[in-house]
Amino acid sequence: MSGDIQPLFADEEKDILQEVMNIAFGQASAELAEVIDIFVVLSVPDIKVLKGSDLPDYLCKELKPATTVNIIEQSFLGKFSGQALLVFPAGAEKELLHLFTQDQESNSQDIDIDIDTLETETLLEVGNILIGACIGKIAELLNDVVAYDPPHITAKNLNLENCESPVPAENFAISIRTMFRFEQQNVEGYLFLIANQSSIDWLKKALIAFLESFE
Amino acid sequence: MIFGQIFETINTGLIVLNKDMTVKYWNRWMSLHSGIGADDIVGKNLFAVYPQLERAHFLRNCRAVLAFGNFGFFSQKLHQYLFPMPAPGSRAHEFEFMQQTCTMGPIRNEQGKIDGLYLSVQDVSDMVSYQKKLVRINQVDYLTGVYNRNFMENQLLKEIERCNRFKCQLSLLMIDVDHFKNINDNYGHQCGDATLKDITRRISANIRKTDFLIRYGGDEFCCLLTETPHQAAFKVAEQLRRAICDHPFEFNGTSYSCTISLGVASLGASDKSLEDLLRKADNALYGAKNCGRNIVVKTNG
Repeated sequence: MSGDIQPLFADEEKDILQEVMNIAFGQASAELAEVIDIFVVLSVPDIKVLKGSDLPDYLCKELKPATTVNIIEQSFLGKFSGQALLVFPAGAEKELLHLFTQDQESNSQDIDIDIDTLETETLLEVGNILIGACIGKIAELLNDVVAYDPPHITAKNLNLENCESPVPAENFAISIRTMFRFEQQNVEGYLFLIANQSSIDWLKKALIAFLESFE
Repeated sequence: MIFGQIFETINTGLIVLNKDMTVKYWNRWMSLHSGIGADDIVGKNLFAVYPQLERAHFLRNCRAVLAFGNFGFFSQKLHQYLFPMPAPGSRAHEFEFMQQTCTMGPIRNEQGKIDGLYLSVQDVSDMVSYQKKLVRINQVDYLTGVYNRNFMENQLLKEIERCNRFKCQLSLLMIDVDHFKNINDNYGHQCGDATLKDITRRISANIRKTDFLIRYGGDEFCCLLTETPHQAAFKVAEQLRRAICDHPFEFNGTSYSCTISLGVASLGASDKSLEDLLRKADNALYGAKNCGRNIVVKTNG
């Protein structure tokens, strides 16, 4: 393996992928508001295919001036399978907290949960909802059904300036950069999909099939 | 046939609900632990039997599952449990209710359309119990039962952050047992241990529930006084000094006296870090030692 790396996706495939993501995110955004009263605007996603080893640098550039992030990871398994990483700048959890805790007081047991746990759980819940909505839509458009593992936090207050990539260096990550805007709050987040190598062939076929269904 | 058997015998609670929240299946595990048999709940609305589940968070998850095949996760950390059930025998003295981790997901019909959802309920009481034990071991001094240094550093950071944000007063006492080595040398290490225990008992009896007593090192203690201005902290310190020197100690019938020296410091506008405050308190303690011991010294301010 020297010289030019064979691009993972041909230009046409990348265009279809972008199109699928546009539709998926548009629908996910509408359904989140309609179904679960979470008013989130997902900006038109910007798709890039990156090597795992390039991910920290890329994130560092994109997230400036923030240099520390929290990363939520969730595995999904269908014909399309892999990991979804949701990256929020550190501190976003504080802004997200009150959007998601308004109804917690009715939790009949009077337990005191410390703020760290609450913030962590909020990140997980936001992650689960956003990842589920986005992946679910993508899968639906490509005629697939996926199941999910529970989300977990893979990195808390990770400093991007000197860290290892959350993705194995040789793996490809499909980076879907999108900004989440919750109601009035601007919380910027990035979603990365790391498709398992084995499902990339399937993904390519599904993308072609998706295009053909319109012809 | 096989799946039916597994459904009934698996060591996990499994429930299948129709879209309208009526119970379709209720496995034997659920019957066993909830005390509600399948015959008594199948066909009924889940919320009629468990009204406390009908709240925004749970409903939001149900809708997300039914609308776009999302999965819902209900962690023990946040919820403790969804279905109130007695904790399993060995944990009954620790938890009023079984600690649970629950998952929710879609059930699809043959056409692939979502027409219901499932809930799985896992008993995680054992794990939670171990977790609590680990947290305790990590925060509490084995000999005296007061907090250890690891706990202090985390707690102090939190308190300093809180004070900087809400402009409240925080004071810190550094406490050192005078000539502790002599007690060990004259009466033995068991007596030394007993002395440390007695000292922590006396100090604990003289501070508020919101304060923290920490064993900082061998015979050094630290007292974190929340919402306490400098002058008040000095008074507390003086009270603690008296609590130790006014009454003799006793070990195996031998009576002996013991004293402590204390340094008092309070969080000032210029102190941003843990080290700043610790250094101030340490300097004050050093002053107390130089003044002949059994004395309280405070920083100016």
